[in-house]
Amino acid sequence: MQPFAIFWHKQTIILEQALNRLITNGEVGISVLNGKTIGFSLQDLPLDVHFVCANERIFVLSATNKPTDVDIKLKSMVFISLLHGEDLTELLRQDKISIHGDVKTAQLLVDLLKEVDIDLEEIASKYTGDIIANQLGKLTKKFNPTNMESNNPLEIIKDGLTALLINPIKFEQYKHKNS
Amino acid sequence: MENTTHFGFKQVATNDKQSLVRDVFNSVAGKYDLMNDVLSFGAHRLWKRYTIASSNVKDGDKVLDIAGGTGDLAIEFRKKVGDSGQVILSDINAAMLNEGRKNLINKGVFGVEFIQLNAEYLPFDNSTFDCVSIAFGLRNVTDKDQALKEVYRILKPGGCLLILEFSTTDSALLKKLYDFYSFNIIQKLGGIIADDEASYQYLAESIRKHPDQETLKGMVLDASFDFCEYHNLSGGIVALHKGIKV
Ligand SMILES: C[S@@+](CC[C@H](N)C(=O)[O-])C[C@H]1O[C@@H](n2cnc3c(N)ncnc32)[C@H](O)[C@@H]1O
Repeated sequence: MQPFAIFWHKQTIILEQALNRLITNGEVGISVLNGKTIGFSLQDLPLDVHFVCANERIFVLSATNKPTDVDIKLKSMVFISLLHGEDLTELLRQDKISIHGDVKTAQLLVDLLKEVDIDLEEIASKYTGDIIANQLGKLTKKFNPTNMESNNPLEIIKDGLTALLINPIKFEQYKHKNS
Repeated sequence: MENTTHFGFKQVATNDKQSLVRDVFNSVAGKYDLMNDVLSFGAHRLWKRYTIASSNVKDGDKVLDIAGGTGDLAIEFRKKVGDSGQVILSDINAAMLNEGRKNLINKGVFGVEFIQLNAEYLPFDNSTFDCVSIAFGLRNVTDKDQALKEVYRILKPGGCLLILEFSTTDSALLKKLYDFYSFNIIQKLGGIIADDEASYQYLAESIRKHPDQETLKGMVLDASFDFCEYHNLSGGIVALHKGIKV
């Protein structure tokens, strides 16, 4: 199993849910993206995801067996600046972002990512291999759709138990970081 | 041997497997939930929670849970789709479906439909469902490829298949412990709690005969799904495969 695969998968689940919430609430339309697959990677993090758009739904996958329509590659800090409103074409001009494929499609995806109601910046900027275990405790508690609202000690114990049962190897790190 | 298939570690006539599997689940139905909790130390609830979180199901969606048994997934899907959606709990086995019905009533969950069906022949029109799930059921299906093709057919474009199933762990230590647990403890507990050692022997053996993560992914793609990815849970003892129809 790849290191931290579960951690990243949790984040992709959360991102997928947030994107689809936007679509369902009618806040954004993605009909122009239907049928498109967009590769997105943050070069300095082990984050490589594919957005698959089909029939007004978005799936966030970690890898695909199909060619992508557009590929976006950038560093995490550049991504954060995009989220803060930096212009995509300007970043492209400065060679801070690489886009293979239709730039309009890439722009649409970035616009979508700006709208989601989760803290992508926190996910991107807080990442280092060392704090993953800690994040399992904090970020999943913050974003985990199954216990998003909980601050109570019982839920925290449940979180630890979840870490143990879902991934026994990482539980050791979880325990260590939370003790 | 032609026209034979595995039933646990035994080779049986392909035509007989379904009724052998039926006997197993007829026998375990009454104690199924209790045994699940005991044997997995409650972890099956977390695996299922993970499956629901991965499902991309929303208000108004149509969901089919195949081999749904006592209805754990159907209950959660019902909450997600709301009154404008539809959830069908299906199983080949009437005794399991009855346990499901009782369970839902006891938990005050209404609005779920029940259908007795074989995963290999799904009595629905093309492009009917937004999501189809099958938890710990696929390994019991005789013709898995046929079942996967059927699921693909009844999914809408943009729909997804979720397969939660026991799988293969990479960790040598975990594998050793798990083998010991499966072939010594599970059977014994099956005998003590459910008075049915043979059925739990089949359940443990059928896990070992089930395709590993990559093989199952290949089968999902072969059934025409455009994308398939899987995630290991509990070190690969269980895996969640997600197939997407574009
Ligand atoms: C281990 S139980 C899983 C029940 C439930 N999904 C859960 O996760 O708790 C497996 C179920 O698969 C059902 N089953 C076996 N073969 C089947 C088939 N060909 N089509 C549909 N259901 C089948 C059995 O009747 C049984 O209820």
